[in-house]
This record gives sequence, C-alpha cells and structure tokens, in this order.
Amino acid sequence: MARKKTANGAAQDISTATTSTDSIPSPPSPDRPPGPLSLPPLPGPREVVKVNNYSTTELKNACDDAVKRYLSRPELFQQNHQHTDVRLALGWLSVFVAGGTGLYGYKVEFEQSKPVVWVGLILYMLLTFTQTLYSYFIEGDIVFVGKRKTFSKRIITERITLSSRTIPVSSSSSNSTPITPPQYSLSLSYVRSTSANKSLLAKGKTQARAPYSRFFDAEGGMDGDAFERWVGEVVEEGMGGLPASKES
Amino acid sequence: MFTEELKAFRRLGFRHVLLQALNFASVIASGLMIWKGLGLITNSESPIVVVLSGSMEPAFYRGDLLFLTNPAAERYHNGDITVYKVPGADIPIVHRVLETHDGKSRGSSPIVQRLLTKGDNNEVNDIELYRGLDYLERKHIVGKVRGFLPYIGYVTIAMNDFPQLKYALLGGLGLLALVQRE
Repeated sequence: MARKKTANGAAQDISTATTSTDSIPSPPSPDRPPGPLSLPPLPGPREVVKVNNYSTTELKNACDDAVKRYLSRPELFQQNHQHTDVRLALGWLSVFVAGGTGLYGYKVEFEQSKPVVWVGLILYMLLTFTQTLYSYFIEGDIVFVGKRKTFSKRIITERITLSSRTIPVSSSSSNSTPITPPQYSLSLSYVRSTSANKSLLAKGKTQARAPYSRFFDAEGGMDGDAFERWVGEVVEEGMGGLPASKES
Repeated sequence: MFTEELKAFRRLGFRHVLLQALNFASVIASGLMIWKGLGLITNSESPIVVVLSGSMEPAFYRGDLLFLTNPAAERYHNGDITVYKVPGADIPIVHRVLETHDGKSRGSSPIVQRLLTKGDNNEVNDIELYRGLDYLERKHIVGKVRGFLPYIGYVTIAMNDFPQLKYALLGGLGLLALVQRE
C-alpha cells in the first residue's frame, strides 16, 4: 500500500478538520489489530456531557476525558497511568510534608522548632519544584498513554500516546479573512511491534485538528458519537489504516 | 446544584477525585508553607498580626495589620513598637518600649535585654499585664513593627467573632478547588 508522505502542518489556515501524517507504511492486514472504528458503540444511552461553551479549558477537558474513556475500553488500549501517578505521589507527599511541618511548628516552641521547620520547608520546595519540572518537561501535553497486546500468529504489542492542546482564536489583521474559532488539536504517536520489540511492524505520528464547534452544540452539550468517530479516524490513520476523511 | 459535578466524578474515576482533592490540599499546604517561611525569614513566630485594642491610638487602631521582624542580632531601643506575649497569656500585645536595660553579651551569644513597655493610649505602663514578671525579656518579644496596613485586619476580627464565616470561607474555597480543573 503505497503512501504519500504529506508535509506536517501543511494546512494552517483552513478552519475545517485537517490531518497530517508521517508514517512507515504498514503491510496490509492480517497483522493489523482492530482499530477503534471497527468496534461497535457501547450499548445503552450515552451520558450527556454539558460544559460552558465560552471556556476553552472546559471544552478541552471534556474532549480529553472523552478520549480517555473511548480509548480505554477493554477491547482497545490499556491506559498507563504513570504521569498521573507521579503527579499524585509528588503532590500528596508535599502536602504531607507541609502538614507535618505545620503540626511540628504548632506543637514545639518557635526557637526550638526552627531547624526542623527549615528542613520541612526546603523539602517542600524541592518536591514542588520537581513536580513542576516533571509536569512541564516530561508530561507536557500528553493526555493518554496506552498499550495493547493482541495475538494473531504472534504477540503484537502496540503503544500509543496522545497529546492535545487548544489552538486559540486567531484573528488576522485585515478584516477580510475570517477568524478561526478555537480548535482542538490532537497529536498521536503509535508504534506496533512484535513481542519483546524484536521487529517493528508499524510506526506512525499523526496530528489532526478540529474546531470545537464541530462537537459541541449551542448549549454546550457534547456530541459524543461525532467526537468518538473523529478520534477513531485519527487513531486509525496513526495505525496505518484507512486515510482520514477531510471534511468539515 | 452539584449533580453535574458528582456525575463527572463518578464518570472520571478515583484518580480524578484524588487529583481534585490534591488541588485543594496543595492550596492549603502552600499557604501554610509561605507562612512558615515568612516566620523563619523574619525570625518571628507570627510575622503578621492584627491590632485588637485601642491602646496604641492614634498610631494604630483596632483592625490594623502589622508587619513584624525580630532580628536576633539587634538591640531594641526606646520608642520601638513591639509585639510581645506574656507567658500564660495567649493574646499578643502591641505596645511601645519605654525602658531598656541592656546586659552585656559577648560575641555570638544571644543579646540580653530587659524591657518595659507602655501603650500610647494607656495611663500607666504594662507592669500589671506582665502577670508577675517585673520586666520583659527578649524571648517574650514576638517582633518589632516595621510597617502596617489600616483596616485589613477587620477580616480576621470578623472571622474570630463569627466562626461560621471562617468555615463558610474555607468550605467555599474547598468547593471551588474541587470542581474547577486547572
């Protein structure tokens, strides 16, 4: 399956959904495990998500949560919680250090307590600093890290990482060109290999963006089906399968 | 009112609840650490105090916020405004130093001073308030006033007189931290 390498970020000024891909072509199935689009939707009514339309933070959080819920279905990827756990561990440890220091300072008289309070304060600052560095450099924009092992002739391991950010409203200086609404940009990196990473089967990096208005109605209710379909397309594209459809 | 938030919590799982609780806890923790750090830097047990009585009028009125430092290597002089705590009393008192009696101190040993204070608006000096002591020592002094902000202390006074206000404020802050996300 010959595949053209499209330039990354080629379509900046289009307000419709755009995709850019950079990947090693994967051999035609049967080696390719099922992608998210091939799964039937979950039975039962979908829980309605309602957010404040005017807050891009809430919009992005709702989309991130939907991505996590969608991709951690049992037939799909198993979520790796390492980033969350590190943040929780460092954060709660610093809270307990602060609490302990405060309690000690409360019980013991001021002059005597000074050395221990100094130690507690320095420890707290170190922990907070480490947590900030970790969040900024190592975690960055990542929202989902997942892994899946499937068995067909041999054990196939897939690893997927998704990061997202909001592309804010951009206004151009001249009044003639339209203003782009806030968009959700999803970047994906995908690796498929045989057990123990002996041979690389497929590798892909995809990036797609879509305006929030595509998934949220005027009251702020989220169209989960449309969003999941879009995410599924991006993931399948990253997996090296069907090309994403380019339409608004 | 909270149904949306509760549904979100159930949907997003236990880790999410822990993260939101961490938001709240770390706000409290950072406030506590800033307070302790300020205390260490100024060498004072309570570097920010509120004036509760009118005994220092017209310099300070009830409700003023005072900023203190307690430099261990400096002597206090007549005219300095100090905050002190008499052992056995839990409320610190803000009065002016009337007399100092300096002891000899060699090298790096702590400064020895005996102090007598009096409030500007009082008729007599503070001997009555010392609960049996004849003078104050440096270890009773919380700090020396370096600056002040008028009226701000009324928030603390209100919260002490109406504890419900304190709990309401804390509760409101907690709620906000729990449902808001970054």
